[in-house]
Amino acid sequence: MSVVNPKKVAPYSVKRSLGKKIWNSKTLLLMCLPAIIYFIAFSYAPLPGIYVAFVDYNYRKGIFGSNFVGLKNFEFVANSGKLWMLTKNTILFNVAFILLDNLLAVVVAILLKEIQSKMFRKVSQTMMFLPYFISQVLVGLLVYSLLNSDTGLLNAVLKSLGQAPLKLYKTGDPWPLIIILVHLWQKTGYNSVVYFAAIMGIDSAVIEASMIDGANGWQKIRYIILPSLRPTIVILLLFALGGIVKGDFGLFWNLVGRNPILYQKVDIIEMFVYRATVSDFNFSTASAVGLYQSLIGFILVLTVNGIVKKIEPDYSLF
Amino acid sequence: MKKFVALLMAAMMALSICMVSSAEEISVANAADVWASKWADVDTSEHVVINYMTTGDAPTTGANAEMLAELNAILTEKVNAEINIVWISWTDYLANYNLRIASMDGSIDLIGSSTDWLDAWPNSKRGGFLELDTEMLAKYAPVTYATVPKEHWDVCTYNGNIYFIPEDNYSQWTNHGFAYRLDWAKEAGLENGIQTWADFKPYLEYVKATYGDKLIALWDADGTAYPAGGYICSFAKWRSIDGLASGAIWGGYLDDPYTINCLYLEETDRLVEFAKLMKEWDELGVWPTDVLSNTGADNRLEFRQGKTALEQHHTQTWTGLVSPKASTDNTMYLDDEDCDVGFYYWGKEAGYVTRDLVTHGVAAVSAASKNPERTLMVYDLLRNDRECYDLFNYGLKGRTYDVDENGYRYTPETYVAEKDSVSTNWWWGRNDDLEIPSSAMNWDAINALYDEYDSIAVMYPYEAFVFDNSNVQSYINQCNETYTTYMKYICFGQYDGTAEEIVEEFQNALRAAGCDEVTAEIQRQINATYGK
Repeated sequence: MSVVNPKKVAPYSVKRSLGKKIWNSKTLLLMCLPAIIYFIAFSYAPLPGIYVAFVDYNYRKGIFGSNFVGLKNFEFVANSGKLWMLTKNTILFNVAFILLDNLLAVVVAILLKEIQSKMFRKVSQTMMFLPYFISQVLVGLLVYSLLNSDTGLLNAVLKSLGQAPLKLYKTGDPWPLIIILVHLWQKTGYNSVVYFAAIMGIDSAVIEASMIDGANGWQKIRYIILPSLRPTIVILLLFALGGIVKGDFGLFWNLVGRNPILYQKVDIIEMFVYRATVSDFNFSTASAVGLYQSLIGFILVLTVNGIVKKIEPDYSLF
Repeated sequence: MKKFVALLMAAMMALSICMVSSAEEISVANAADVWASKWADVDTSEHVVINYMTTGDAPTTGANAEMLAELNAILTEKVNAEINIVWISWTDYLANYNLRIASMDGSIDLIGSSTDWLDAWPNSKRGGFLELDTEMLAKYAPVTYATVPKEHWDVCTYNGNIYFIPEDNYSQWTNHGFAYRLDWAKEAGLENGIQTWADFKPYLEYVKATYGDKLIALWDADGTAYPAGGYICSFAKWRSIDGLASGAIWGGYLDDPYTINCLYLEETDRLVEFAKLMKEWDELGVWPTDVLSNTGADNRLEFRQGKTALEQHHTQTWTGLVSPKASTDNTMYLDDEDCDVGFYYWGKEAGYVTRDLVTHGVAAVSAASKNPERTLMVYDLLRNDRECYDLFNYGLKGRTYDVDENGYRYTPETYVAEKDSVSTNWWWGRNDDLEIPSSAMNWDAINALYDEYDSIAVMYPYEAFVFDNSNVQSYINQCNETYTTYMKYICFGQYDGTAEEIVEEFQNALRAAGCDEVTAEIQRQINATYGK
């Protein structure tokens, strides 16, 4: 590994013009181009459209020609008296998702790495990956056919064992757990891939050296693999925090839907907004809610990134 | 003096115009002449495609394509245009429908709409529909313009602009109620069928005991029909203002319609009665245990197949259920020769129904349409020209339908739905002057009910009222959400505790959601409209 002396490079690089810098990194930039275009087109270019949250949108006048109404579109969420409850629920669910997702993904990735039989590893990895590709509408139906009171599989089994049937669609309490379980079932296989790749990227010389030094399996994981995964974990956590006020509408809607007995226990912002505004087709209200969620996410990312920067500057996003 | 002469001349001219128009009244009978004179100077040199947007699932039959080809040949000859149907499928239709209108990319011209089930007013106010001035209508849709009376144009007018054309000359009843098996009700001892809400229980109990094994459920409800308002209005003469909220929340008593109130705050006792009754139905097992999550159910199809005993919808739907040949799905008539279907409508016990809105089906022109004039011309033809009307509404003569010697429509022997059916979902331009009654319909039963309605029908009292929701929409949204949540508990007996408790909780939640604020705002605008 060649180490360039930073003192020698620094003055030279400062003098280089921007054009020259771009020219020198042309291959890298070319490779990034699709991603750059994607983000410009879908993330930066539409930013001025945020203004739609502050107008009474008229199709003919367009976003910037419509009448400015200030914070009126935000009134609806604020008026509901449920904003705090909804935000809290959304955040708590996401905290559970983020923590369990990453924990389980790391565990699964390590287990996969430790499996010696290549065949077994491939089969189990594929099986865990598959649920990720099932549409959430189907997942909702699957869960319903498993759990419903009259014809569900679970109750058929319970009945044949002489047990009283469980009326899960008539009681809200188990649903936070059911939602988390279904989410994990669906996402763990996919999430573990990133960690699995990170583990595969660890210099095998380091692991071999530790084995020669007499480290056992557990010590190898504890002292080599987990510390090597730390940057990945931190970065993924930071990314996840940006969306912490955004609920997984597809999952909740398809599992719980319009059944108030269930959604009273697991209501999140998206579900409430959908139910309340589905009959009032209004871009402005929806954008106002979206802006509220993004703003909280943005503040959270900045805060946590700041904290990470203080503790371990290398792991921060910016 | 000069002024006076000018005024006199103007008055005389106006008078002479009136006399001419009354002398040769425009109707479908002389439509061809009207078009020939009105459209003589319209430049139709450029061939255009008129995209007509409707809700529904696109048909895939060859007959549909052939019908369109034949129709387009006629339209091309008459106004050098052709029609193309843009379908908004039923899944999430309202959101997709509105989105298509909002996109304003000129990809749609003619839009089927409705003030009570398809957001006609919100789309007008948000700039989605083109303002249709009377000159334009008189020039490009002359027959429609002349045959729709002024008071019907008035109900399509907002801030001085006409926004859509009403389907005001088509007989139908879209008042809601329960369709049930009349033959089973008779077996249960209800000789005249179900006459009161109290009759339902013996009927349901009998059906459950006798036919329970062969039914999927007495009512395979999916938890989205809320008969609470229907129950209350079966006793109280009250009418909701349509198009305000997802449920019939605001309106007034018919003896004093311009005093606005909220039905569910006003009628506590009847709501409690209803909640108790539905608890009894729940305990009887009328619907599946998980009714509120039973979203995959298709109760109407199951009813047609004789697998359920109740179907909650409107009279128009019932006409298709009471007529054995109206649908190939009506297999209940094949399995049981005594089969008959009755209809219990909301208001029966109080003895009234409200006539349909003339804006239950309307046609609008997209504000982004590049050919609004030609769009109106095509609409006028589809609504008033015999040839175009028959093709667009009934399909290919001799293949999709035929007409017997009595002038009734029937389905030919060779007809196979999979390849010969035609659908255009033209629910915004049907015309009684051109309708050919179908022999597949059970007219004896249908006309008997229609006569009953005619004898007790009252006018919808709020036709001239267009609500400006801008001050209270956020409250309406909250009330909608509250209403839907509690209706699910109340209408399906899915509550713990007593009926009184759940009703009180519902009323408190409505008040917290701003129900009273909305009532006050509607009252203010009603006063302005009707000058109370």
